[in-house]
Amino acid sequence: MVARDADAERAPRDEAARQRDIHEDTARLRSLLHEARLRTERQPGYPGSTAEWEARLATAEELNARLRASEAFTARLLAASRDSIQVLALDGTVQWVSEAGRAADLRPGEAVIGTDWAAAWRDGDRVAAEVALAAARTGRTGRFRAPSGSRVAPRWWDVVVSAIQGPDGHPERLLAVARDVTEAQRAEEQQALLMQEMAHRVKNTLALVQAVAAQTLRSAVSVEAAMEAFNGRLMALSDAHDVLIRGAWAAADLAAVVDGVMAPHLDAVAGRFAASGPAISLGPRAVLTLSLMLHELATNAGKYGALSSPAGRVAVTWALSDGASLRLRWQESGGPPVAPPRREGFGSRLIERSLVHSFGGRVSLLFPPEGAVMELEAPLAAMQDGIA
Amino acid sequence: MTSDPDRTPRDAHEEGHSPACDAAPVVLLVEDDGLLLMEAADTLAEAGFTVLEAPHADQALKVLESRPDVELLMTDVDMPLGSMNGFALARLVSRRWPRIPVLVVSGMGSPGPHDMPPGARFIPKPYAPSALVRTLHDTVRRAA
Repeated sequence: MVARDADAERAPRDEAARQRDIHEDTARLRSLLHEARLRTERQPGYPGSTAEWEARLATAEELNARLRASEAFTARLLAASRDSIQVLALDGTVQWVSEAGRAADLRPGEAVIGTDWAAAWRDGDRVAAEVALAAARTGRTGRFRAPSGSRVAPRWWDVVVSAIQGPDGHPERLLAVARDVTEAQRAEEQQALLMQEMAHRVKNTLALVQAVAAQTLRSAVSVEAAMEAFNGRLMALSDAHDVLIRGAWAAADLAAVVDGVMAPHLDAVAGRFAASGPAISLGPRAVLTLSLMLHELATNAGKYGALSSPAGRVAVTWALSDGASLRLRWQESGGPPVAPPRREGFGSRLIERSLVHSFGGRVSLLFPPEGAVMELEAPLAAMQDGIA
Repeated sequence: MTSDPDRTPRDAHEEGHSPACDAAPVVLLVEDDGLLLMEAADTLAEAGFTVLEAPHADQALKVLESRPDVELLMTDVDMPLGSMNGFALARLVSRRWPRIPVLVVSGMGSPGPHDMPPGARFIPKPYAPSALVRTLHDTVRRAA
């Protein structure tokens, strides 16, 4: 029956023989089909008609499609995770790595599959990794935080290792999920650094307050006078802190420092105080020192000088000379006639010593009859320097 | 008015606490903050020390080179004006002048493992003045 078309061109006397062959072939196929059906019916595992078989086939295909869709979903799920996900054998050998895990791996090109997972962590972190593996093997959760990559700018990982249960309910493999916590780690380090810096500043401030208190007591004529003087100085430091905090403790504008110190010493009479000079920013140490100096001058002016009488005036002026040093002048006028103080108190010692000592430069404090004059000149660079 | 490292605070003489001059141990105070230095100098002068002052490490070295009678160095750590901080100064002094005991004073918690030279003492700021005086006397006595 097959491939007989070529014979159609032969003589018509062959036609009868050809018809006979076809008849025989068909009969043979029928018998084969019958035999096959009988054989199928004798085997209990394969019953049913052709239609039933086709229905079963359709169901199998649908199940297959569903399974493929589910697998694809799981793959997309794992690919969607930003965590590095690795499947390990119970002995810690890497068997599978997620997309993010391959991207995070610091040995690009190198095969991670088949390597010892714990060995990828360095130094003491390797021990932490081994401990986490041991915990996961017993069904518990192992967890540690460790860096990877360059020691200068490492990436930090929060790693959780747990068991993948087999059908028998026992750990069959291990799952290691590493989440990138670099930003959180950096923030924590920054926080720790700030706390340390804060502690340092507080200690320095306490030492400064201690020195102010001791110096105040040394030169006090009475407990009441000491109390008043100390409170005034403490307030001057407090105001200086306010100005510094506005500048994030890095710098403060000189005009703001002068205004901050003078405010408590000025009454409602307008025009008694004038400050002028270019915008200059000063470092915290200079701000604290200068604030205390100006406070002493203002206190003195309020007791004996220009601020003790309604007609008195105070002018604070400053300028940069050669762009490299700050010149600042305190000039009183219009007050009662001035005489130099009989004894050198805290204020004048502070003015003469602290700025010159701390920043270099020079200071002069004079008491001509028309009003006290202080002139200072100090290198700007030193007065703009960082930490107090 | 300049900061004179050789100046002895006048209180020591005015208030009569200073013992005979040649018996007063000479201490070199290195501190960049003028107010803290003033107070420390007054405290030590009252306790019978002769106080020399320096605002930074470089000035301190000049004083040490010109004054062989310095018996003790007390230094702050952060001193922006000089070429080195107090720890570096302490290490340098303990090498160049091994007979001079060194005290380091700072508001920063505690020194790092290699900051201090062997035998030097660290005093955290702020300190109780009486404890400082006791420590200095002990140190001078031990070095003698």
